[in-house]
Amino acid sequence: MAGASLLEVDDLHTYIGQHHILQGVSLRIRPDAVTVLLGRNGAGKTTTMRTIMGVLHPTRGAVRFDGRPIHHLPPYEIARLGIGYVPEGQGIFGTLTVDENLRVAALAEDAPSGRRLERILDLFPDLDRFRHARAGTLSGGQKQMLSIARAFVNPNRLLLIDEPSKGLAPIIVEHLIDALRAMKQHATVLLVEQNFAMASALGDDFYLIDDGRTVRHGSMASLAADHELKKKYLGI
Amino acid sequence: MKARAPLAVALALLLLPLGFMDLRTYLTLTVAGLAMGMLIFLVAAGLTLIFGLMDVLNFAHGALFSWGAYAGFAVAALLNGRWGWAASPSVAANALLLAAAIVVAMAVTVVLGVLLERIIVRPVYGQHLFQILITLGASIVLEELIRILWGPNDQVMPVPATIQGSWDVADVVVLRVPVVAIGLGLAIYAGMQLLLNRTRIGLIVRAGVENGEMIQVMGHNIHRYFTGVFAAGSALAGVGGLMWAIFSQSVRPGMGGEQLIFAFIVVIIGGLGSVTGSLVGALMVGLSYNYVAYLVPKAAIGVTMALMVIVLLLRPTGLYGTAK
Amino acid sequence: MTPPALTPVQAKRLEARRHRLQDPTLHLRLGVLLAFVLAPVIVPSFQVTDLLLKVALFATLVASYDVVIGYTGIVSFGHAMFFGFGAYAVALSLGKWGAPTYGHLLAGFGAGIVVSAVVAVLIGAFSLRVKALFFAMITLAFAEFALILAVQLSTVTGGEDGLSPKLPGVFAAAFDGGRLLGIPLTGRLITYYALLAVCVALFLLMSRFVHSPLGRTLQAIRDNELRAEALGYRTFVFQIISSSFASVVATVLGGGYAMWVRYVNPESTLGIPIMLDVLLMVIIGGIGTLYGGIIGAALLLAARTLLPDLRGLSASLFPGWEIVGRLSDRWLLYFGILFILVVFFFPKGVLGTIRERLSRRPPGRTP
Repeated sequence: MAGASLLEVDDLHTYIGQHHILQGVSLRIRPDAVTVLLGRNGAGKTTTMRTIMGVLHPTRGAVRFDGRPIHHLPPYEIARLGIGYVPEGQGIFGTLTVDENLRVAALAEDAPSGRRLERILDLFPDLDRFRHARAGTLSGGQKQMLSIARAFVNPNRLLLIDEPSKGLAPIIVEHLIDALRAMKQHATVLLVEQNFAMASALGDDFYLIDDGRTVRHGSMASLAADHELKKKYLGI
Repeated sequence: MKARAPLAVALALLLLPLGFMDLRTYLTLTVAGLAMGMLIFLVAAGLTLIFGLMDVLNFAHGALFSWGAYAGFAVAALLNGRWGWAASPSVAANALLLAAAIVVAMAVTVVLGVLLERIIVRPVYGQHLFQILITLGASIVLEELIRILWGPNDQVMPVPATIQGSWDVADVVVLRVPVVAIGLGLAIYAGMQLLLNRTRIGLIVRAGVENGEMIQVMGHNIHRYFTGVFAAGSALAGVGGLMWAIFSQSVRPGMGGEQLIFAFIVVIIGGLGSVTGSLVGALMVGLSYNYVAYLVPKAAIGVTMALMVIVLLLRPTGLYGTAK
Repeated sequence: MTPPALTPVQAKRLEARRHRLQDPTLHLRLGVLLAFVLAPVIVPSFQVTDLLLKVALFATLVASYDVVIGYTGIVSFGHAMFFGFGAYAVALSLGKWGAPTYGHLLAGFGAGIVVSAVVAVLIGAFSLRVKALFFAMITLAFAEFALILAVQLSTVTGGEDGLSPKLPGVFAAAFDGGRLLGIPLTGRLITYYALLAVCVALFLLMSRFVHSPLGRTLQAIRDNELRAEALGYRTFVFQIISSSFASVVATVLGGGYAMWVRYVNPESTLGIPIMLDVLLMVIIGGIGTLYGGIIGAALLLAARTLLPDLRGLSASLFPGWEIVGRLSDRWLLYFGILFILVVFFFPKGVLGTIRERLSRRPPGRTP
């Protein structure tokens, strides 16, 4: 993987309480590609995302965005550097309307944001239709769309997306894959996804995390063919 | 979805006391109940926003109520003592006195609120037990300071002459002060709704109340809003205290603590983080308390508790609360 | 046939028990207990005996509160209420049904325990499912309500004036049991030892509870409720059991308090002052230490008895300075400041800080 990395994670160690969840995670995310984080349940994928986002503080290691260390910054500053986060469970503000959800995400109320918003609504017609409905009344798939849409409101250079297909019906997942493919061209994505079909449809590179450590990485294409690896670490 | 059916039940209950008293008494009690409700709303509204946004149980809120009352009292006593602006029948003088009292009450409580948030609350942010203890300690200190500065006894609050007394509306005696309180409460409620629903700050606060972590991850420094919300909540408590002083025509060092328990109950009934919930809850408590106090004085507080229990059984997070 | 090998958990527990018995603090605790037992004999001053028993009662009360706050991790303001229930139950039973007998005394304790258990379970079942802060507020509301009830139902409870129960038999003030080993056996003395025994028994009971498998489960729940739930523990049930147990302990102590002080009124047994005292004591002693309660109670109560002397001292040092008079009268102010300072600088309390320092040192002896 040649070229400068947009995001570098070096030997990250994170504790949650007394539990040593991340025991040395290292990643290199190259720009304009989708990197997938794979691994079993509890391997530390979400913890990695949350540490990158600043919600958790690492006890050791570093995270660098565009060469700049960010692992000691508070989440809101990291977000303002151009990193968007779509968390597990979507993180939708149910009591706000769809429109308000999108507006609260916008950090700059200017013309480019407005145009981006329109483009998002084109990609997600459902959101346009339910624009003034309470976000809590949306279906699971629509909430996921909203969550992803929110991350695109700002000109984010990196998107962290955590298990978008979780709990969604297969047909919705299909729509999701289409939408993400369309957006792929505009951003760099770090994707955590248990659904291997989705992961391989979207991913360019992969990193395999097991027991809080990075154990393997490579191109998605090579992984698809490697049945041994898939069986050992992903159980498929 | 929300409170459609319970609203109908509530309305029915509202008219129930008519079966036990004549219309005139009912109307007087209703006005008194709404006024009391409004004043509790002022305290509860600040409390519920502070809870909802910051997850802070602010015991010092009652002390801020007292401080607002005493600050206003000090100003009113000064202006009345020097120039007789309260005793005077001139509407202008009365209005100026009231305005001055409100402004001073708010200013003092905002300053106290900001100090509290910065010095007392922020260091223990996230640790519930310590927050409770430290705000408890702060409330004790604040109340004791009142006793030191103004003495431990009740004092008479100068009430502007033009809002004393009553109007005679179709043979019903309607006291003026409660009506003023109701008007003020409604105005403040409307203002808060406007602020919360039509401004960007309000949007961020509402989102933060629902999910504090998410709002930060989206690029907003929620701590800046904390201080603002704390200050606003403190100002509300201060105005509430001042109005209560006018309403009851006296100030007492312990007045905040007594009202705080009502405010807590209202926040529980209304739901954490909901201003509308506080209003509805406060009005329910105010009305029920007044009706029952007239009919069976000793059962008044019992009915308030029963109300709380019933609401919790039906909706554990309060009427308008969101489960977090 | 070799005996079956111990499971890892059993082995660990056995080792912990052995370790506890070799614990040097055991001697310290026995020493403290000895002091409590011998003091009334060595120093026949009522003030000292009174202070000591109050320390014992409150130390145990604080320990029971620590079970709720420190070990189960629930913030509740209702604890003083249960203390009050016990006090009132005993006071009522010893006053309202004719001349007091042992039967009355037992009935009083029994009634108090039953009422407290029921109320604790009800409040728990009702409110433990909501957010922690919500629960704290609800318990506060109930506690205030209990207080107002006690004041309003004055025909039964004596209202603000309270009740003054008389004790039966050997505990009665007028009892004279002659002399034993040269010490006059007064009702007071017998009450002292009886109550001290109760306190020690309750303390040991709580200690066993906390170190039992049930207690450990509770600590696991306190540390990470989600994980405990995931492991299959019905956290809700455990929390109710624990808080009800602690409430019943508080009730018994309340009854003991009524026996000793012989005056029960809402302010001194049900109100906020007691709750504040307990809170401050548990913080000074150390949350989650159980024995910290002894230190917290001792420090606070000793300071209280010495403070009036300080007031007199300051009055004589600065005669005529009214503001000094006002400032020194307002002991509550210092209480509040002390509260804040302790939370800021001493959040782990005396025992908690000591234990933390000790655990940081490398292990001195091999197991």
